[in-house]
Amino acid sequence: MYEAVHAHPDGRSTASRFARTAERYGYDGVVVRADDADPHYDRLREACAVDVVDAAEIVAPDPQRASGAVGNARTKHTVVIVSGGTNALNRFAVEQARVDVLARPFEGAVAATSADENDNRGDGEVNHVLAKAASENDVRIEVNLGPALRTRGGHRVRHLSKLRQLKRLLDHYDAPYVVSVNPTSHLQLRAPRELAAVGDEIGLGDEWIREGLDEWGRLVAQNRERRSESFIAPGVERGRYEEDD
Amino acid sequence: MKHLPKHLQPRWRYLAVGIEAWPDADFDRGAFQRDLWYAAQNLYGDTGSAEADLTVLAFHFADGDGETIVRAHRGTEDRARAAVAALDRVDGDPVGLRIRGISGTVRACEERYLNGRTGRGEQRDVVFENESRPAVVRDARVDVEGADGFAGATRLDFE
Repeated sequence: MYEAVHAHPDGRSTASRFARTAERYGYDGVVVRADDADPHYDRLREACAVDVVDAAEIVAPDPQRASGAVGNARTKHTVVIVSGGTNALNRFAVEQARVDVLARPFEGAVAATSADENDNRGDGEVNHVLAKAASENDVRIEVNLGPALRTRGGHRVRHLSKLRQLKRLLDHYDAPYVVSVNPTSHLQLRAPRELAAVGDEIGLGDEWIREGLDEWGRLVAQNRERRSESFIAPGVERGRYEEDD
Repeated sequence: MKHLPKHLQPRWRYLAVGIEAWPDADFDRGAFQRDLWYAAQNLYGDTGSAEADLTVLAFHFADGDGETIVRAHRGTEDRARAAVAALDRVDGDPVGLRIRGISGTVRACEERYLNGRTGRGEQRDVVFENESRPAVVRDARVDVEGADGFAGATRLDFE
């Protein structure tokens, strides 16, 4: 199980602090959604017991600008995440097979310094067209549990009803999804069991949440394989023949 | 008041909760209890809160580091877990909470999951982002003080 985090300077804690906390919480690794952050991944992986994955999070105001950034990031990073939040951006992300994850389709970019997430609202939506496109292009839609944990009252109610609707769409079209709480500091991180319990409570189901946390791991493994030198095309690899038994 | 007969006494489960916060966080058991109740009530309403009946028992917290025991009715451990996860700030201070384990008695809970070491922060100056800044160092964890609050780091960031 992986958690995708906003590390310093995008967030308040450094990638190593996230890795340390995630290790104690029972995660297999952290995905660093780097916008400005640029930690030393090799050194971190050596020093930490958990995996640290280099990912790029693209925060752009419109699809035109996002498109160029996706092209740049694809060759440099293992995971490419596009921050949604408007209908145009959501649509752009799910229709691009180069994109791995559409993050926060409802609320858009997170503000690292904003103490209050209540003032952080996008107007994006996910509908059946997007869910279908995501399923066809293998773009994972992120289920953002952050507001479910950190906001109160009306904001939380609206967010929870959006998540329920999203779950119905994802299940119906068998679209891939990932779960994250979008932590900007190590204090916002929560252990997988806790998230599963919350998922059960808010009507998403504990297994469903665990699946979403596991999906990061599958995504990372798949992209690492594709980026390795022996990979040519799906099913075609350079190397020795497999041994026949 | 007379004790209830043993078979009618409520059955409890005790959750050992590790608390982490920024070094300047300052709250006591009362504040933690109040915010935990609010978190539970906001998450699953009055009926659910009454059913879980979350109570904070042993509470140790100093300098942004602590541990406590939360009592819940047997069978509502998962609901209690969800309420603890949904508690993101106490008295306005952001907190990181983690359930270390669940036991059937307070004593077992203390012995297995609480280590009795809280606080132990050491003041030191570190160089962070090319600036010398005060920091609180706790084993490998380093909380660096900045103009707009703390930043979380580890020793690894200063090697």
